Amino acid sequence: MLPAGCGQRDEEEEEERPQPGSSTEHEDRPSPKELEELELLNRALEKALRVRKSILKTPLEAQGAAGQEWAGEADAPKKAEEQQVPVPAEDVPECRKVRAGSKKPLLVKKPSPYQLRAPYRTDPEVKKLQRKAPARCVSQGPSTAGKISSKGMTSKQGRTHKAAAGASAREVCAAAEPQGTPALSESAPHEQQSFSGGDSAEGKNSRAAGKDLLGAGKKSCGFLAEPSRKVDTAGAWGRSSSAGTGTLQEKGSQLRLPLPYRKAYSRNSRAWERCRQCPTSADAAAARSRFMERIQMTFCSPKLTPSPAEIEEELRGLQDVPSRLRQCVEAEPADPPTLQGEYESLLTLEGLQTTVSQCLQRLQQLREALESQLRLRPDCTGDVGRCSPACPPARGHTGDTADMLALPLLHYSSLQELRDLFALKLQVSMLHQEIALQKVLMAELLPVLEAAGPSLQGSAGLLRAIHTQLCQGGRAFPVLVRDELLD
Amino acid sequence: MRGRQREQPRERGPALPAAVGALCRALPPRARPAPDTLRRARFDRPQASLDFWRLLYVLLKQIHGDRWTESDAIGAQVRFVKSALWYHGYGRPQLQRLPADGSVGSRELLLAFSWLLHSLHLLEHLLVQNRLQTGDEASVCTCEDELPTSQEGTTEAGPEGRVDVRYLQWLNGRLRLHWCSLHAQHQEQCKLLHKIHLFTNGSHMDQNLGHFSVTETDLIRQPENYKQLLQLLESETMQLEAFLEWKQLEPVYWQWMETVLDNMAEERNTGESQDAHVEKRRLPEVTSCCPWTDKLTGQMDRLSRDLMALQEQLHQLIAQRKAAWWEKVAAREELEKERFSATARKIQESVELKLRGLTSLHAPKKNEMHGSCRLVLRSKPTASKMGFGGCVSRKAVSAVGAAEVIRELQVRETSLQRELEQLRQECRHRLDEIAGGLEGVICISP
Repeated sequence: MLPAGCGQRDEEEEEERPQPGSSTEHEDRPSPKELEELELLNRALEKALRVRKSILKTPLEAQGAAGQEWAGEADAPKKAEEQQVPVPAEDVPECRKVRAGSKKPLLVKKPSPYQLRAPYRTDPEVKKLQRKAPARCVSQGPSTAGKISSKGMTSKQGRTHKAAAGASAREVCAAAEPQGTPALSESAPHEQQSFSGGDSAEGKNSRAAGKDLLGAGKKSCGFLAEPSRKVDTAGAWGRSSSAGTGTLQEKGSQLRLPLPYRKAYSRNSRAWERCRQCPTSADAAAARSRFMERIQMTFCSPKLTPSPAEIEEELRGLQDVPSRLRQCVEAEPADPPTLQGEYESLLTLEGLQTTVSQCLQRLQQLREALESQLRLRPDCTGDVGRCSPACPPARGHTGDTADMLALPLLHYSSLQELRDLFALKLQVSMLHQEIALQKVLMAELLPVLEAAGPSLQGSAGLLRAIHTQLCQGGRAFPVLVRDELLD
Repeated sequence: MRGRQREQPRERGPALPAAVGALCRALPPRARPAPDTLRRARFDRPQASLDFWRLLYVLLKQIHGDRWTESDAIGAQVRFVKSALWYHGYGRPQLQRLPADGSVGSRELLLAFSWLLHSLHLLEHLLVQNRLQTGDEASVCTCEDELPTSQEGTTEAGPEGRVDVRYLQWLNGRLRLHWCSLHAQHQEQCKLLHKIHLFTNGSHMDQNLGHFSVTETDLIRQPENYKQLLQLLESETMQLEAFLEWKQLEPVYWQWMETVLDNMAEERNTGESQDAHVEKRRLPEVTSCCPWTDKLTGQMDRLSRDLMALQEQLHQLIAQRKAAWWEKVAAREELEKERFSATARKIQESVELKLRGLTSLHAPKKNEMHGSCRLVLRSKPTASKMGFGGCVSRKAVSAVGAAEVIRELQVRETSLQRELEQLRQECRHRLDEIAGGLEGVICISP
């Protein structure tokens, strides 16, 4: 009886497949259509996973059963998968965990392009597509492309080391091109200032040059988006992924800048050096101080009051003090073992307390100074823009301007350091923005709720949304529970 | 009188025009006055006033890192210059009294210009700010970016001027998405920069740099794209040479400026000196409409709140510790008194040393760099300090290490995070109050 019963059940299952809507056992398991879609999705994810892994490997992988597996997979649902490949690219890391043991990571790179016939794209292009897709999602139209995007766009060669540099630069263009909303463009191009025209002061002559190059760069970036170009560059990338960058790698240390540039550069740096070393003569210093004394006697503000610029600068320096002092306090052990340790700890805490009261005193002085300066203020009707600089000008406190003229360098020692630096800068910038947003939202939303009063009954959802936004930064939601125990 | 004053410039002969000419050429190209403007201003000619207002406007805007256009009205220029000069601490009342149409006052402006030359180190600052950047730049300052303040009201208001809060949530999500993608792009950029720096190591003729930047690498590939760069380099070199010339001829200029002050002193003696008194009687209306004032007072309030909270905490902690200390000492007094007083002195000194290191932290950091630095990969740690005592080739740079900047950023991040948390806490508090007013609903925050 049993086999017949099983057979019957099999027939039932097969019947259900083509008639998804008519099944009565729907609630127990997912519908066949869903199953089919799930199967498709799984295959797409697998393929994406494989593609991603294969790109990470060198092209000289051994052929094996994996090759046949790949070939076996290249059947009908491929076309449907193609569109799905870019989209789950972001989920690949997750699905890697989910489908850990599904396929062997050793995959063939070389044979697969041959087995996937046209119009299937080759691996590098898939990779490019993966990269482009998230970039496209956030592209907002005219972008303030960074400096790097303006480089190397017009290159048409695909063989020499130049292609590699170009390919690398192009990748950066693809990645850097969409820069998101304009609100971010203020904070973004810290690092990309040298030739981008997006800087705040338009009058900088050195930056004006970048606009032309930027225009060329943008056009070429636009070119790059066309698929026709991709084949050419992708081929170059694919072939030169070991050969091209290798060429830059090999020859990079022997490159030489063209002669006119070298001459101009060395003249320029010699001039800077002379300016830096040129001391202010005693005559000049004396003449200056005489003039300054005389003119300052005609000022109306009391002499020793710090100027508004100085007040602001000092406040800026004080900003981090509470955090640092708090760190010091917390660094003191709670229960020192020895008597000496406890004595030391106590003295340190007392010293910190003195520091805190000194800071408070200074703050009070600054407050008074600001008030007296504000009294002398000219009428500022508000359309003046900023009357204070966003970043304070470099001050030669000791009158020694030599340091100002030295070439400012920021040296890093490893890739990880560079990454941390950029990540932290972005984090600080984001926090500034979040704080500004928080303040504005508080000022706007809370009065709405407070004024609504009893009419808020029906809009618990509103309360919940505002609570989320203001108190958790939009990440977690509070729970609103109906208080029915009172009934 | 007049004759005598006119003789003085002639005595100095060619030096004064050369000095003024060098000064003008040492200013950046877009803010370069004609030497005649300064000469006319010295005699307070009204024709020079408009030009001089414009000159100061452009210079101060550059220093402030702000934008300006050719078509900014004279009224706006005058207001800005007055405001900026006040900000930097220039206190001559006569300047503030100049009319808003910019028709007179060139001599006052000349004085203000000279004052700026010295107190802001105007020339050096402008040279540095406009320095041609051929490297990969990164800025190390942690100053807040000025968000563009839009004065208009809500532009996205729906019908009846109401905004759905879900729209805000959506915008917030989108903002977060952009931040994430920006982060990803930065990381990508780092990787590629590192590659280029690493591969071209050893090629640069400048020893301090050692490797090429992206611009320079591209310059090798396509020199024809960079003709403008060469031109800019040349013009910057000429500007630097004018600066050097100015440094030689400076004393003449300052003496000339003193004669201006002499003139004005004489005129004042013959004229009335009551304006100063009138000025002081002006009502001190502290206008709080200015966002700058608000920002400063906000900072000061937050600082004092934090410091007082810290003070309170320390007060309690110290009281506790002291009590415990005296108990312990009382118990062991006979045993360790002598031995202890010897070490007590040592401990005091070491604590003083430790604290001195801490208290220097709230002096304004002299080494704080604003503006951008060129990124340079240095794989070998160098023993000598940069900038001052190093070998000859290293003196021309002022280098700061990424590790140091990272530390600073971490401190700043902590304090900003703290500030954000405080704001959120306040919101939570107020929302709890509001939710408490609702009947029949309990709000449980995560």
